[in-house]
Amino acid sequence: MATTTPHAAAAHAKHETGPGRLVLNWLVLCGLTFATFGFSKLHISPGMHLAAALTISTVKVALVVLIFMHLWHGEGINRIVFVTSFVFLLLLMFFVMADVTTRFSLSNSRIPPMPQVDQRMIPSGMPPGMSNTPQGHSGGGAGPSSGEAGKQ
Amino acid sequence: MQSSAARKMTAEGWLEPPPLPHHYDTIENHQSALRFGMWLFLGTEVLLFAGIFVGYFTFRHYFPEAFEQSARHLSVPLGTANTLLLLTSSLTVALAHYNAEHGRNRNAFWLLMASVVMGAGFLGIKAVEYTEKFHEGALPGRFFSFAEITAPGGPVFYVVYFFSTGLHALHVVVGMSLLIWVALRCWRKEFSPTYYAPVENSGLYWHLVDLVWIFLYPLLYLV
Repeated sequence: MATTTPHAAAAHAKHETGPGRLVLNWLVLCGLTFATFGFSKLHISPGMHLAAALTISTVKVALVVLIFMHLWHGEGINRIVFVTSFVFLLLLMFFVMADVTTRFSLSNSRIPPMPQVDQRMIPSGMPPGMSNTPQGHSGGGAGPSSGEAGKQ
Repeated sequence: MQSSAARKMTAEGWLEPPPLPHHYDTIENHQSALRFGMWLFLGTEVLLFAGIFVGYFTFRHYFPEAFEQSARHLSVPLGTANTLLLLTSSLTVALAHYNAEHGRNRNAFWLLMASVVMGAGFLGIKAVEYTEKFHEGALPGRFFSFAEITAPGGPVFYVVYFFSTGLHALHVVVGMSLLIWVALRCWRKEFSPTYYAPVENSGLYWHLVDLVWIFLYPLLYLV
């Protein structure tokens, strides 16, 4: 079959993403980059910032995958592979975050308060952010820190 | 693989494709298998970076103020410049693939070299940023001594920052090596409408490097 088909026709039939479309895709991607930057300057809540950034990034990734990486015109099996890897990424992210964000302190039972940390036990070279001071973790109920238990 | 020296130049101006391995029926069959293998590998790469992104969100949840303060100390102009560099290099890689597939090996060579130069530019900007962090003491774990970040968790942010951008930079280096390798093969006019899988697969790897940065850029620099 390949003996009679000219190479160019064979290539065109296989995938149709020409240079024009690639350049257009690049322009859209650059535009979306500036859009991400613009959104970060808006006065909205941190959660909204995160949601906007992730949404725009997902659109950009979809454009790169579908146009630059030819998944739009490519074989279906490759689509399954890539989508599956993303589904597993989301599963990992979902279950880890579901755990991390719903942890709570057990110290409202009759467990005696944790003893105060002896400051001399902390290595002298410890930077301020790492020391076990009773500031507590700002995320709330983050693991077995001495913050909450020490206050009781 | 048979060396290019043993392959004959065709009338169209490119080398004839390497001999088909006996377990493939057609050359298209072979190309599809090579492409499928690359996508499987990219799937594992996504999962490699998944761990880093999960780490980012976990620590961001624990130390929101530190992440906010630290992000303000990263240079947004440099981060944006790097994003645009990688996007543009992805365009030139996609165009190189297109040219190689049409047998225009010399065009593909120059486009690939342009991508390599942009990759080097990316690493150069990254080096400037790293140097600044080293001077400030904005470093991971117990090396942290950056007084301007007062909220707890500063050292944790820089663990995430250096490991995510470091692993990404390693991928940029590998990607540049692959692009140089296929560019040299383009120079020898090895690719044709029936054989261009090395250009395509190296390009796919480069695009993946771009994808990871598309997520890292807003998460580290902007949010």
